[in-house]
Amino acid sequence: VSRQRLFFRLVMKDAWVRKDRAITALLSVAVVAAMATVALTIYYDLEVKMSREFRSFGANVVVSKHNGSLTADELTKMDAVVGSKGDVVPVGYAIATMPSGQKIVIGGANLDKLLELNSWWSLTVRDKSGALIGTRANDIIPAGPLRLSFAGVSEQIAPGTVIHSGSEDDDRIYISRESLFKWTGVQPNTALVRMDGRPQEIQNAINQLRSSLPQLDVEPVRQITQTQTAVLGRTRSIVLAASIVVVVLIMLCMVATFTSSVLERRKDFAVMKALGASNRAVNLLFASESVLLALAGGIAGFIVGTGVAYWIGKVNFEAAIPPQFNLLPPVLLGSIVLALLAAMAPIRMLQRIQPAQILRGE
Amino acid sequence: MFLRLVFESFRRQKRRKSVALLAIALGMSIATAMIAVGTDVGDKMTLELRKTSANLVLTPVEDTLDVNLGGISLKPASEGAYIPEADLLKLKSIFWGHNILGFAPFLSDPQNFTAHGKSFQSELIGTYFAQPLRYGTDEFSTGVRSINGSWKVEGEWPQDYAEWPKDRAPDVLVGSRLAREQHMSIGDEIVVAGKAFRVSGILNAGGPEDRAIVAPLHIVQTILKQPGLVRRVTVSALTKPEDSFARRDPNKMSLSMRDRWYCSPYANSIAFQIHEALPGVRVDQIRQVEQNQGKVLARISGLMLLLTIAALIASALAISAAMAATILERRHEVGLMKSLGASNTTVASLFLTEAGLLATAGAAAGFVAGSLLAQRIGQSIFGSPIAVNAAVLPIIVSSALLVTFVGSAGAVRKAMQFDPAVVLRGDA
Repeated sequence: VSRQRLFFRLVMKDAWVRKDRAITALLSVAVVAAMATVALTIYYDLEVKMSREFRSFGANVVVSKHNGSLTADELTKMDAVVGSKGDVVPVGYAIATMPSGQKIVIGGANLDKLLELNSWWSLTVRDKSGALIGTRANDIIPAGPLRLSFAGVSEQIAPGTVIHSGSEDDDRIYISRESLFKWTGVQPNTALVRMDGRPQEIQNAINQLRSSLPQLDVEPVRQITQTQTAVLGRTRSIVLAASIVVVVLIMLCMVATFTSSVLERRKDFAVMKALGASNRAVNLLFASESVLLALAGGIAGFIVGTGVAYWIGKVNFEAAIPPQFNLLPPVLLGSIVLALLAAMAPIRMLQRIQPAQILRGE
Repeated sequence: MFLRLVFESFRRQKRRKSVALLAIALGMSIATAMIAVGTDVGDKMTLELRKTSANLVLTPVEDTLDVNLGGISLKPASEGAYIPEADLLKLKSIFWGHNILGFAPFLSDPQNFTAHGKSFQSELIGTYFAQPLRYGTDEFSTGVRSINGSWKVEGEWPQDYAEWPKDRAPDVLVGSRLAREQHMSIGDEIVVAGKAFRVSGILNAGGPEDRAIVAPLHIVQTILKQPGLVRRVTVSALTKPEDSFARRDPNKMSLSMRDRWYCSPYANSIAFQIHEALPGVRVDQIRQVEQNQGKVLARISGLMLLLTIAALIASALAISAAMAATILERRHEVGLMKSLGASNTTVASLFLTEAGLLATAGAAAGFVAGSLLAQRIGQSIFGSPIAVNAAVLPIIVSSALLVTFVGSAGAVRKAMQFDPAVVLRGDA
């Protein structure tokens, strides 16, 4: 039997004969690797996943022009910046007079896009094709079709859907952009922009809008952007803190188990030494066992951890968190380093003792 | 005899026992910290968000419509109804009064100002900055400083004067855009309706207020000749995210269900209670904030819950592995006991008693360590400690017992299956 074969046999036999010992060591490594994979995978994808949730907050940037209306060229430039990562809804405003003499703000916009943008509005739909009436406006206007006048031109508006928003939109009426233009000649001078992405990406897009449209006011809706930044920051730190606590503690737990199971083998160790094995050979044997266990445990843990992260994404964010294969090397490396540390410390200790003493049971 | 066996086992196998104890304590401190953080993160986040924005808005019922474009109100101050400022304290009297974190009244009107000899028109907004108030024995202060977290002031916040100060011009804030356009800076004097203001700070609000002048409410009431009246109030209330129960129509609920609804801090039940206390007031949810934050918070709480479950399973496995590892190494003992005539029951009860003692001690240590960890996490992230509910302790102890028993049981059974002679000979 060659040296290599003997060595290989020793490593294999040891794992095979004491299956339960190998399995518990493997399990404790796998648990650490799995937990670390779950935490890192989620942390990695958290900002993207959470930022998606902020889409439903609606417009986070308002572009407006002080004099005159937005030109087609300006709208094209806006679309070019926002592209598929968001939405641009141009709105025009006019102040009309009700028969009672009271004034009311009329907005003209693509109503479908406006509803999509303000998905949090609570709607009471009466007639899908009619105008959108703010809830406070709805309480005040007389029932039936509403006659409004603008600069002497009067127009009949059919109320369609009542919107509840809790903002100034509750006092307004929205009709289609074309109807507003035909009636009043008013074109959009404001664009409500919803920009998707992480806070940094949104800020970049705002800067881009500002530089390509210097004559327009580009203002972030601070309440929304700030909420997003605050929520993301806190969530990231809480997930990070919790993960660090869990992974470090469970690591300590694993190191303790591992160290203890190596210490229990002091008799094997002593027999090997008594039979003439060199310190190097013994070290190598124990180290390669640990590395093998750590590799197997690390791979198993990575697979399980990736699965758990995927599942958490599905359950919580309704979108799977994809496997982060670039995490595999650090997870494996971490498992191996930990296992080596946990195994070699007790070996170092045992080497200082005479094999005979150990075998005598002292 | 039995007790002595247990005692001696602890005395002679200090290392093994301390490994097991360490593992249990570590696992249980993970459990304690994660349960505490996971259950509290929603509340902590809500509180954090309530600092950045109000979620309810109060307007007079019989009001005319606001005609508001680009932050300029085109409705004359004389038109429409008002809310009496004195009534606002009733907000604290409702069932969920403690959940009303703060409110800010507003009264505004476009005015002609003069600064540096130039005159311009701008919105004059009156509000509370940090107005000290008293409800019963409860003293608190409220205003935009506490509920509009996105308002940033360069310079000094004005104080909330109870009446027009006699010796000096009252301080006001100037919106950042207005200040840029009119070249105003801190210390400048602005004149409105023959009265002088001093600019104490530049306001960056990220909204229409950036084009306005924001002054203490009582000063604006004097200028607009509307003493004791406000037009609009924003309220920041701690609410429970809306669920399917909250979306049902309260008028169609049975009596007991309606009680449950009334006694849950949903935005709409708090709005209902405010309307009860202030009948002349219409209460609307600021849905953009209220609805969406609920969704986001649900995601965060859900994520923490799932992470907690994963951590609990992981620590259970780690503890089981540690228990199994320490017991597996004690086959010789099992063999010896059995060859001396111990029954399987005796052996099992010995091991399980040991496990139980370890679990209780480990759980207690873990609970203390986990509570400290949770506290530190809360302190460093939210600035306030996360307290661990005492009700978590029995859960931790019983789950420690369960996990150690399950972890040991397999190993003990395995150890007992071997023939004592084989084990003692060292062949197993």
